Amino acid sequence: MSNPVPAPRLLYFTAAFGAGSLLSLMVLFNGTLAAYGSLLFASWVPHLTGTVLAIVILLTLRPRRVGGISRPPVWAYLGGVVGGVTVMLTSATMNTALALSGTIALGLAGQMLFSLFADIRGLFGLPQRMPKARDYLALALIIAGSLVLIFLGGAA
Amino acid sequence: MIGFAALALLAGVLVSLSRQINGRLALSTSAWESSFWNHIVGLGFITLIAIVFGGLFAGAPQDAPWWAYLGGPIGVVFIAAGSWLIARIGAAQTALLIIAGQMISGVVIDIVMGMAGNAFARIAGVALILAGMWVARSAKD
Repeated sequence: MSNPVPAPRLLYFTAAFGAGSLLSLMVLFNGTLAAYGSLLFASWVPHLTGTVLAIVILLTLRPRRVGGISRPPVWAYLGGVVGGVTVMLTSATMNTALALSGTIALGLAGQMLFSLFADIRGLFGLPQRMPKARDYLALALIIAGSLVLIFLGGAA
Repeated sequence: MIGFAALALLAGVLVSLSRQINGRLALSTSAWESSFWNHIVGLGFITLIAIVFGGLFAGAPQDAPWWAYLGGPIGVVFIAAGSWLIARIGAAQTALLIIAGQMISGVVIDIVMGMAGNAFARIAGVALILAGMWVARSAKD
């Protein structure tokens, strides 16, 4: 832990790790909702309450609009549709022979492969970056640990 | 089986795709505004699906514990964080660190909720993930 690390990098690190923890809680809460209501309901309600909170946040914080880049393209507003399709795909595969563990593991693979591809190509107007050997080592370790937890971490 | 595997893989691709799209929107607006659009557009889309296929209020959602309704507010912060991070540390590192956080907190939640599990696998898995984070943390941009 003696490596000199610039402060912002540590901030990004903590934020991303914290976001992952939020995701765990979200999966737990939405999954509980789905156990009582329909899968559609378990996705519809969080979008509804989320929209309300987002409006409150926008009205109170009034976040500064970044000026530098021109108007966003229309497709940039469609992230929510892609998210909605994702929910349907995962709820479809969860109940097949893949089960939850297989669905999560393949989801991680798809996510990492496409993220790397997007970084290397600089897709969607986001900064282009080439992963280095160290990044691939980190990737291998974290994915290996995730697979151990997914496939071996449950009750024997 | 292969078909379902392809769908599960595609779901992962879409997670990354939607984070990139939201990240692009945040570049022109703000992370909070991007999260707002993600939620309201997603709400419209799911409402449309519900109108076409029905079954939105099937089951007994009124019996769910109150805390099960907290997923939405958490999602707003989650989407804003992803949109903010992806332009700063890239899609791959954002995804990787979110996965690390999700996996380790998942183990903590399982233990807190008293879920049975293989202790050795939990320790090995968390150790591998922490090692990966240490490697990523000491890398320079």
